[in-house]
Amino acid sequence: MPVSTMTPRERILKLFNGEEIDRVPCFSGMGNVTAEGMKDLGYKFAAIHLDAKMMAESAATTYKYFGFECGVVPFDLCVEAEALGCQINVYAHSEDILYPTIKEKVIHNEDEMDISIPADFNKLGRIPLMKEAIRLLKENIGNEAPVGSYVLGPFTLAGQIMELNDLLKLSFKKPDKVGKLLDVLADAIVIVAREYEDAGVDYITVREMGATSDVLSPRVFKNLILPYLKKIFSELKGNTVIHICGKTNDIVPFMMESGARAISVDQKNDIVETRKKLGNDALIFGNYDPYNVLVAGDEETVRSTMRKCIDDGVSAIWPGCDIWPTVPPENMRAMMDEIKNYGG
Amino acid sequence: MVTEEKKQEILEKLKNCVIEYDEDGVKEAAQEALDVGMDANEAIFDGLVSGMEEVGRLFEAQEYFVPELLMCADALYAGLDILKPHVKQMDLGVKGSVVIGTVEGDVHDIGKNIVKMMFDVAGFNVYDLGRDVPLDKFVEEQIKTDSDLVCLSAMMTTTMVGMQKVIEKLREKNPDVKIMIGGAPVSKEVADKWGADGYAPDANNALQEAINMVSALKKMRDEAEAKKR
Repeated sequence: MPVSTMTPRERILKLFNGEEIDRVPCFSGMGNVTAEGMKDLGYKFAAIHLDAKMMAESAATTYKYFGFECGVVPFDLCVEAEALGCQINVYAHSEDILYPTIKEKVIHNEDEMDISIPADFNKLGRIPLMKEAIRLLKENIGNEAPVGSYVLGPFTLAGQIMELNDLLKLSFKKPDKVGKLLDVLADAIVIVAREYEDAGVDYITVREMGATSDVLSPRVFKNLILPYLKKIFSELKGNTVIHICGKTNDIVPFMMESGARAISVDQKNDIVETRKKLGNDALIFGNYDPYNVLVAGDEETVRSTMRKCIDDGVSAIWPGCDIWPTVPPENMRAMMDEIKNYGG
Repeated sequence: MVTEEKKQEILEKLKNCVIEYDEDGVKEAAQEALDVGMDANEAIFDGLVSGMEEVGRLFEAQEYFVPELLMCADALYAGLDILKPHVKQMDLGVKGSVVIGTVEGDVHDIGKNIVKMMFDVAGFNVYDLGRDVPLDKFVEEQIKTDSDLVCLSAMMTTTMVGMQKVIEKLREKNPDVKIMIGGAPVSKEVADKWGADGYAPDANNALQEAINMVSALKKMRDEAEAKKR
């Protein structure tokens, strides 16, 4: 086999362009910082969400240490909700790895759902910090590795700013009301994603896991969620991915129809079936279990899982969710090694 | 004395109103059950719960999804609120108390609430700690309430890992306590590895597991007592 001369960035940009590449890439559109990377920097997980330099440096380590083919910021799911006025908790007291969560929501009941986007939205919360982190990350590894970021999908974001319980029931009882909120949130998401595009990201992932078929019926997905995903993707110029975890086999055609360049699914998806449904040209990213395989599995499990993903027909090897930071370094190396050998 | 025919009619109404998430209908039927002198226990188990069993089946068959499940649960609670004060004696063979909550870092509580509902229905004493619960709180509450069972729930892979620590701490303080973990990312492998006594990917499962565990625990205690004597 000829020694590869493509950089990961070239490889992945070519993949998005539909051009020929030397082997299947291995990257992610979601968080992938490792404890190993943070340890050498001397950073605590709770601190790296609030400082652009620390965020960018931490994000760069997964590429630098393991050759994982990207750098992605942020690591949490609260950026948009915070800019919309929610209070977040980063669990600063904790030595454990706890992802930031929303402490105080902006919508407390059905009557408060009629919201509008705050003025100067792009300057609120951590959006400016995110832009700076993207810029620093590009400076750090951007010549060789693609830099990505993510935003939430409108339904998942709605679940961050109001009680999920209420949102789910209303999506059944009063879909018009929910639709109106999703429309506003789609506009907010476009503003954030465009800021990230301005800062120079190579691709953006829209994470709409709240609308998984484990929770919502494919029919509700099509009628209530899809129109607003279409709105978002029609407004974005760069490379885009739609990510949904859990059961997705019945909604992959809708995910494709959303206008995203690629779809991302997790280990519950039957890739062989999805490939058959969507055809050879569709970009399908997935679909290994980032905890049970990559963190808890042994090296051989990691290797055989990678081979299975490739054999099933993924366009890129990509995790089903964020990579849990305590991933054993030897498993990261085994993953990259197997893909380099088997993925050609 | 209520006729068998009337009884069946009321039970059928309770069941169907739960399935059709008709809260007002459930309330009406529950009140009617009391008015005609029906046993509240029977109304709960052969009416409300049998409705919820059918809901579970519809969920399994992907005819119902989480929004429907939540609305059915609301209907069940509407009936339970009326019937429960009139329950004379719960007879499930086993009664227990349970501490339940979603682990720190996880603000999702829908799964936990459904499991809680099953415990409520079964007549357990439920100590609900809510969501995003600091790890030590589970240990404190278990000791304070001397509960037989602790149920931990996590919705996401990224929060599931916190359960491992709670299990360790609970075991340290009380080796006998039964621990069940649940939630979408939880698997039997994870439960075994971390030393949980049971795991439940869904609510129906959780209740059966819980009953088995509590009976096992009670048996163990009885045997220990018998030896002392």
